[in-house]
Amino acid sequence: MARTKPDPWVPFFEIAQDPWSKIKEIKAKTGKKIIGHVLPDAPEELIYAAGAIPVAVAGAGIPISLAQSQIPSYSCSHGMGALELKLKGTLDILDGIIIPYVCDTTRNLYHLWRRLFPDVPCEFLRLPKKLGDPGASHYLKEEYLRISKWLSFITGQNVTEDNLSSSISTYNESRDQLKSAYLKMKTSPAVWSANRVIAVFESVFRFPRDEHLSLMRSLPWDVAGTDNTSRSKIYVRGKVWDPPEITGLFDELGLTLAGDEIVTGFRSVEVNTQACGDLFGSLVDRHMSMTPYTGYYVDPRKLVEDFLARVRSSGAQGVVFLNPKFCEAAAFDTPDFVNALKKNNIPCLVLETSSRGTSTSQIKLRLEAFGEILSGDLP
Amino acid sequence: MEPIKALKEIKKITLDYFTSAHMAPHNNKPVVYCNVFTPVELIYAMDMFPVYPENHAAIIGARKMAIELSSAAEGMGYVMDLCSYARCDIGWTKAGVSPTWGLPKPDLILVINCQCGTLTKWFEVLSRTYNAPMVLIDVPHSGNGEKDSAAEAYVRGQLDDLVKTLEKVAGKSLDESKFKEVIRLSRQASELWTRMLVMGEEVPSPMTVFDQFISMFPIVSQRGTEIAVQFYGNLVRELEDRVSQKKPAVPNERFRLFWDNLPIWPELGKLSSFLADRGAAVVTSIYTWAWSQLAVNEQDPLSDWTRQYLYTFNLNLDYRIEKYVELAELYKLDGFLFPSNRSCKWISQDVLALRDAITERTGIPGVIFEADQNDPRLYSFENLEKQIENFLELLVAKNHKA
Repeated sequence: MARTKPDPWVPFFEIAQDPWSKIKEIKAKTGKKIIGHVLPDAPEELIYAAGAIPVAVAGAGIPISLAQSQIPSYSCSHGMGALELKLKGTLDILDGIIIPYVCDTTRNLYHLWRRLFPDVPCEFLRLPKKLGDPGASHYLKEEYLRISKWLSFITGQNVTEDNLSSSISTYNESRDQLKSAYLKMKTSPAVWSANRVIAVFESVFRFPRDEHLSLMRSLPWDVAGTDNTSRSKIYVRGKVWDPPEITGLFDELGLTLAGDEIVTGFRSVEVNTQACGDLFGSLVDRHMSMTPYTGYYVDPRKLVEDFLARVRSSGAQGVVFLNPKFCEAAAFDTPDFVNALKKNNIPCLVLETSSRGTSTSQIKLRLEAFGEILSGDLP
Repeated sequence: MEPIKALKEIKKITLDYFTSAHMAPHNNKPVVYCNVFTPVELIYAMDMFPVYPENHAAIIGARKMAIELSSAAEGMGYVMDLCSYARCDIGWTKAGVSPTWGLPKPDLILVINCQCGTLTKWFEVLSRTYNAPMVLIDVPHSGNGEKDSAAEAYVRGQLDDLVKTLEKVAGKSLDESKFKEVIRLSRQASELWTRMLVMGEEVPSPMTVFDQFISMFPIVSQRGTEIAVQFYGNLVRELEDRVSQKKPAVPNERFRLFWDNLPIWPELGKLSSFLADRGAAVVTSIYTWAWSQLAVNEQDPLSDWTRQYLYTFNLNLDYRIEKYVELAELYKLDGFLFPSNRSCKWISQDVLALRDAITERTGIPGVIFEADQNDPRLYSFENLEKQIENFLELLVAKNHKA
């Protein structure tokens, strides 16, 4: 009897849906330290070079109950979700956690974490907000050096030039593969669906990179041709894929991702790190070159122009905003982005997302109507 | 309750200030939008005119125009979860009405982010609205307040650059002697402000934080001017008289309370009377203390500001707990009032941990209640009164037990 070939997508879905069980197994097997990092933009290469496994902590889709006793309900799902996971014991596996300074909520989350969970070492990644500023770059390099020392203290392994170089190479290789997967999604969405490809992206933040690379080799890279002609192309801006079912809805409704700015999406792979010379400086250069996260600062007037240029160059017919409820940075940016899109006749849909009170069916309905506008298939 | 006479001057000071603000472009004075902790002394020394969208918003709240103007902002797409100060200020650009006749257009927008991240995003909107250049002084959050030499170099470098930018916009160089004089006046105002705050330690207290909130305008926007020095000089003298005569701000002072967070501007008068009627004097607040620490020295003001931004105004939970515990003893506090302010997530998200830690350390209870600094649609004043009433009863029971 012929053996059925295993579905190559399954491991990615398993990791994305329940990363903590897998990480528990890996920790038991390898004895490696597990360093959580609240999204976005912790320098994973440094964590990896220090001999630990970086695992992203995101609150999207986490039902909130215990966290409400520690932080007011007008906090975003991501901050509350991270607290919820720890209060429920899910994050007990962590040997340390990095919380980046990207907004007031992550700043408060850091202080709350230290007070509530003194058993889990917590470090605050003091990200400068100015992108493209020489002073900010210099400061960030110093900050990476400081974080490296903290990581080495936890793992007992120094971040040397050799292991950082090796880590950067692994991450670059992984990003290149993910970029190829993204391209496949754009051209051959019947097989390389958004739901599948984004599961590959999501899982990479929650699994050792080298093992993830091995898993990616089993994917159906030989699928050729273009099967996206009847689909509407959308561009997505937001923090994370929230609700997690959103990519499945895109597929179901015939929407193809032409580009995105999600922190676990294309933004995470668009720039590689220079693997030679001043490696810490290269990590800084990469951070400064990525599409700006909403909490960072660039000339406000340029911010809108650049966004519009990215949307246009993606070839998208419309834009979907996934704005986490109570995320002030995203909510301040959105009206001017929307106005700029309207002026340029690019339709958009603003979805406010939260694990408290957002209905997936309602999102589906709105996406469906948006898809009809894009395709001109109006009743 | 006998009103403080010196406070009557505030109305004229505010009116004169906004008249001058609107006249600034006609007097060839570049208008600089800034936030409350920006080094306003530099702006005055450069003959520029500082304008505070935060003050504008607070006045809108106090004059009960917040619903109209924040609704206008919501109509522009700014969701109700955003800071109500920002919504009110942005809303006036659409609605065209405001108690200060709006604000003059800015030539430059300046923001320092040690206060909160919201201001940067709000000012970004203003930068686009007016097509005005913006300068962000980015202050990394120094974790738990420990020394961060790299951050000091980063912030200091930005302040050096700021001087160059101001010189460019003003079209002239910074006059060092004028700058020193402005700093001297600013320090004088700050010292008088601190003397005023310290008088709250007296029993009975000669003033409440509600009086402090009303008197804030010059220390925020006119540091470095004679106006602020004169106003606080008069105020301090009157309060000293009150202290010597044991004249209380709240007749029959029974409870001495602490106010955390920003004022609830639309309810200032009502809340003040409500508490005074029950013998509750709110004698100090973390908010008003901020301006007591803004003074710098003439020798190296940029380095002083660097350290202030990094280590003083960059609040962290541990620092707040220590500070509140210290104030509890100095001001002989009976209780803490913690508004959970939806508009200021930065200072409100850790309120549960803060309250618990302080009560654990001092044995002094605190009450948390839903509030908003400007938008009355986001809380119920009746519920707030009930919660405070119950809290005062708890204090009575506690005192009886003791």
